[in-house]
Amino acid sequence: MREEIRKIQELMEQEAYITDPAIATSVYLAMALKKPLLIEGHAGVGKTEIAKVLARALDTNLIRLQCYEGLDATTALYEWNYSKQLLRIKLEEASAHSAEEKEAVIFSEPFLLKRPLLQAITQDGQAPVLLIDEVDRSDEEFESFLLEVLSDFQVTIPEIGTIKATHHPYVVLTSNRSRELSDALRRRCLYLWIDYPSLAKELKIVQTKVPGINEQLAGEIARFMQTVRKMKLNKVPGVAETLDWATALVALHASYLGDEVVRETLGCFVKDKGDLRKFQAELDAGHLAGMITPLP
Amino acid sequence: MMESTHQRDLLTTTVRFCRALRERGLLVTPAEAIDAVKTLNLVDLGDRQEVYWGLRSVLTSRVEDLPIFEELFETFWGFNGSSPQSLKGLLGGMPPPTTEVQEPPPTPKRPTKGMALSLERWLNPDEGQGEPIGLPGMSDQEALIDKDFSIFGAEELEEITKVATRIARRLAARPSRRRKPTRKGQWVDLRRTFRRSLKTGGDPIELTFQERKTRKTKLVTLCDVSGSMDLYSRFLLQFLYALQNSFARVETFTFSTSLSRITDHLKGHPYLSALGRLSGDVRDWSGGTRIGPSLTTFNKEWPSLVDKRTIVIILSDGWDTGEPEELAEALVTLKKRSGRLIWLNPLLGSPTYQPLTRGMQAALPYVDVFASAHNLASLKTLERHLYL
Repeated sequence: MREEIRKIQELMEQEAYITDPAIATSVYLAMALKKPLLIEGHAGVGKTEIAKVLARALDTNLIRLQCYEGLDATTALYEWNYSKQLLRIKLEEASAHSAEEKEAVIFSEPFLLKRPLLQAITQDGQAPVLLIDEVDRSDEEFESFLLEVLSDFQVTIPEIGTIKATHHPYVVLTSNRSRELSDALRRRCLYLWIDYPSLAKELKIVQTKVPGINEQLAGEIARFMQTVRKMKLNKVPGVAETLDWATALVALHASYLGDEVVRETLGCFVKDKGDLRKFQAELDAGHLAGMITPLP
Repeated sequence: MMESTHQRDLLTTTVRFCRALRERGLLVTPAEAIDAVKTLNLVDLGDRQEVYWGLRSVLTSRVEDLPIFEELFETFWGFNGSSPQSLKGLLGGMPPPTTEVQEPPPTPKRPTKGMALSLERWLNPDEGQGEPIGLPGMSDQEALIDKDFSIFGAEELEEITKVATRIARRLAARPSRRRKPTRKGQWVDLRRTFRRSLKTGGDPIELTFQERKTRKTKLVTLCDVSGSMDLYSRFLLQFLYALQNSFARVETFTFSTSLSRITDHLKGHPYLSALGRLSGDVRDWSGGTRIGPSLTTFNKEWPSLVDKRTIVIILSDGWDTGEPEELAEALVTLKKRSGRLIWLNPLLGSPTYQPLTRGMQAALPYVDVFASAHNLASLKTLERHLYL
């Protein structure tokens, strides 16, 4: 294994993010090739977490842009601070400055509201990590705009001029696949698909993230979740749900998965009415023990 | 000396590998090939896994690519049981003979005409359920997505529902580019603010705002249920049913020799009882096709359903026994009034199919989007066309 990749893996594990070589390699390449990293995967497998951990590991800022329908340039890039401009005009009314001078003042950087994208490329000091979260939620128009910024790393503001990036930020995009992203955006990025974790990985995650959990309980939870993800559920629980559940079980001083305590805490990982009924039926039929898959 | 030969071999193999991936439909252009070569300099060539992960993140771009990538990686750099850590395997390597060996994916069979399945038979739950239902793993989904609807089993309908829900979400009130004035909103409405400032002597005391208008798209679907569509209409109907129940502004019609509005049949009823009601009310199921007259009827009787904010989807194979002129005329009217006219033809999924039927020939000039609807993947791409 390449030394740099091992280091990234170590850095991430120090930040309590259990990773695997696939993730570490992709992150390393994104940094080395200076390309954005597009991460896809089911909900709750830790896509967003990668960017956060990366920022901490590199000891740099994390700038986050949460996407939603209707997100546009004024919320993502920059906007003029209108109220501040109007106030300044009022204050300057009696002054002897010429109209041009006044204009130059109100269209200068102090009156500019920097939104995440502009912040990311103008940040002082170290290159930040720019997280563009749930990019599938934004619309196509925004996607093409994003492409433009991500390929040039410069922004043109008519009143000021072109602002060039002081450095390339590390860009991480996440998507839940609620919409097909354009081929152009996909091509621009390195791709990483994060699947649900393997039994061993999930066990390690539980043990790392839930302090004070005993070995038996952690093992049973991890094995149980492997079965759960194979059931036909409307909302398949991710790692986030596993951790919530494990934390709840520890708080209830459970030391193994018993029928009663599982019933009480079903809500931690079952988030759908139909699924809940399915689980209750399984428990009523006494299938709990069978759902904790035996170790290979 | 040996080293550089190896290097060159590696380069050639990588370029070939990229080409093979591109032939299988991955988004690999020369830019990606360059990145792939750069990647090989960045990873540990002695670690096969690392090379695999590295190239995978550079050369794939969606989860559907992963199985293809894995298969080709094996073909190009397979070891068949020898040590996975072998450096020789990657450098000396056994490049595959040619890139032409890549077979195109099996093409869906073109459905034969006239295998009439009546609606009543669909209601029979025993039909078409041979083997037990497997757990949905990734590979299952993969297989499902390319599968022609004509060979779909009943249990796979669940996937169709998922696609319909996605489309419904897509169509649900989308923010428009236009803005409307509001009391509190995202942007200051400068024009109004200045206008209002006149009454306070030019001092803009009261700020007025703007926000985005929401754009409400409507959908009208017209589904051909004539005999020639039998193999497909069952699944398309499931799709329409799911769409009808997850999206409020959709109207659904069926036609063969005449037109029936089935919006109310589908809405709010369980699927099987909706089918039951349909079989009672829709007379000419699996009959002949008269697309032109059916569309003319639609234009005449339901003009209020279609306006510039409406997407009209016609699902038909274009086998029309009516006059092509009438079809063309009806489509001209429909195209003028609607925002977008989409024709989905299940037969288009077959690579040998040419839209040569008289009906299809007459229709093509007036259609904004002509696409296939023979499998899940094609329904998923429909999502891309649904904008105004």
